[in-house]
Amino acid sequence: MKFRCERDTLADAVATAQRTVASRSGALPVLQDLRISANADGLELIGSDLEITNRVQVPADVEEPGVAVVPKLLGEIVRKLEPGPVTVSVTGDEAVITAGRFSTSLRLKPAEDYPRLASSDGQGVRVDSTAFAAALRQVVRAASKDDLRPILTGVLMTAHAGGLRLVATDSYRLAVRDLKGVSMLAEGQRVLVAAKGLAEVQRLAGDGEIEVVLRDRDVVFRTSRAEVTARLIEGDFPNYEQLIPSSYPNRLTVSRDSLMDALERVQIVGQNRDNAAVRISMTADGLELAMSAQDVGTAQESLDAKFEGTELTVAFNPVFLRDGVEAIETDEVALDTIDPLKPATLRAAGGDDFLYLLMPVRTS
Amino acid sequence: MRLLVARCSVTYEGRLGARLSPAIRLVLCKADGSIAIHSDTKAYKPLNWMNPPCTIEESDGTIVARTPKGETLRIELHEILQDTTLELGEDAGLEKDGVEAELQKLIAARVAALRDDFTLVRREYPTDIGPVDLLCRDGDGRAVVIEVKRVGDIAGVDQLLRYQERLDRDPGLAPTLGVFVAQQIKPQAKVYAESKGVACIQIDLDRLRGDVDPDLTLF
Repeated sequence: MKFRCERDTLADAVATAQRTVASRSGALPVLQDLRISANADGLELIGSDLEITNRVQVPADVEEPGVAVVPKLLGEIVRKLEPGPVTVSVTGDEAVITAGRFSTSLRLKPAEDYPRLASSDGQGVRVDSTAFAAALRQVVRAASKDDLRPILTGVLMTAHAGGLRLVATDSYRLAVRDLKGVSMLAEGQRVLVAAKGLAEVQRLAGDGEIEVVLRDRDVVFRTSRAEVTARLIEGDFPNYEQLIPSSYPNRLTVSRDSLMDALERVQIVGQNRDNAAVRISMTADGLELAMSAQDVGTAQESLDAKFEGTELTVAFNPVFLRDGVEAIETDEVALDTIDPLKPATLRAAGGDDFLYLLMPVRTS
Repeated sequence: MRLLVARCSVTYEGRLGARLSPAIRLVLCKADGSIAIHSDTKAYKPLNWMNPPCTIEESDGTIVARTPKGETLRIELHEILQDTTLELGEDAGLEKDGVEAELQKLIAARVAALRDDFTLVRREYPTDIGPVDLLCRDGDGRAVVIEVKRVGDIAGVDQLLRYQERLDRDPGLAPTLGVFVAQQIKPQAKVYAESKGVACIQIDLDRLRGDVDPDLTLF
């Protein structure tokens, strides 16, 4: 195999494909490398851990077609090259990379050791890339990263009210986002997609449209920059609808940016402290945030806010609370509460397409 | 896994050549398709081996393993002393890590279950020899260093003592109290821990799971 490609193009493609190579030592060692195939159409770079696969296609001047499995080191090498053309020449188990006056050779694993991945063929549904990425950004953050509960590491995609609903939860918080008018799934259809894969889709979504191809075991997202294949997770997602209270006696409305800034400041005393909680006291006069950490100190800040209901103090995990506030895209956020031990809801003031349910923490 | 003890000679041909003259050795054939030849010395390191992917064929007292790259490992079996195949099942190591991680997480959420005056300062508190599982304070403000294991043995107690020694160099934390927490603590480990002033607490994971306040989670 021999090809020539511009440094920036190759570096970008390698970096994208490398994001999904296997990292754990228990995986097939060959999956820690990139698969590169070259033909008359250019290059295809694949990085996969068998759960998520990134495929990137870029133009290149291919002198000799072929396939090779190259180590991750390629990314670091290409990034540090001078701008200009990069030549990669593979013979046997060695790849020689030259650019300008620089040359290096890398030992390669056998290309036939790379597992055969399912092709990403198929036609799918097209969705607006910007809107889809924005929805993913709001929801994926709430999915669990704990592999001990694999169901919660997925994002539920379900047909809802003629559109698409995305749901994620880690049992401490629940994010629900509706994309009206997006007909990706049939009535009653639901799939659970690995959140890690959707995070890649969000990152790679550019302008235009994303084509979504739903298959038996995985789903392919074709963005303008790359193709992401994410496996579907089997199992029953929690019955999230019953978790959402039907009404709230208390509502606080506050500037999103002011609340974010105040949380950032107050949280400083509690950083690196597990179980440190931020207390939110809500009265007719407004809102006060308070945080304390043993051996460090305390912090508090008051904010102007509109409050309707009975005076109340509720404590939350500050990271989860900030995630919820940050996910809201309007100028004002509404925090609906019942009592200090029941789930609270964050949503855009006046908006109804995003909801973030957050469990309080118990404090003495 | 196949454990084959035999008087054997071994020839390796590949980028280099190597030969082992006849002697009694242990041949290990694992479920992942690897083959390794061990002597009664050199600890964990095999004398020769072949990793997957490779094909392994056996006939007429000879085992031959070949890789796609053209390497060949040939084992001539002159006398078989023992040939046993055992099903080892799932990798116990992975399960162990998952349980320990869950144990640490559950305890961190409820340190008062260990002693009712404990409050958590931090999980994975960094030291220059690695992170301590849990750092807490007791009711008197004393720093408590907690090491969590699935099965507690002397090596685990030693690990805790090393962490304590590092943290006792910090005047803001010294003198620390050491607490060794495990689902099961071996008797020798208990004796050793007590001789070093380390408290031992055996914890029931299932009870701990149920003991975590359900109000802390949505479901």
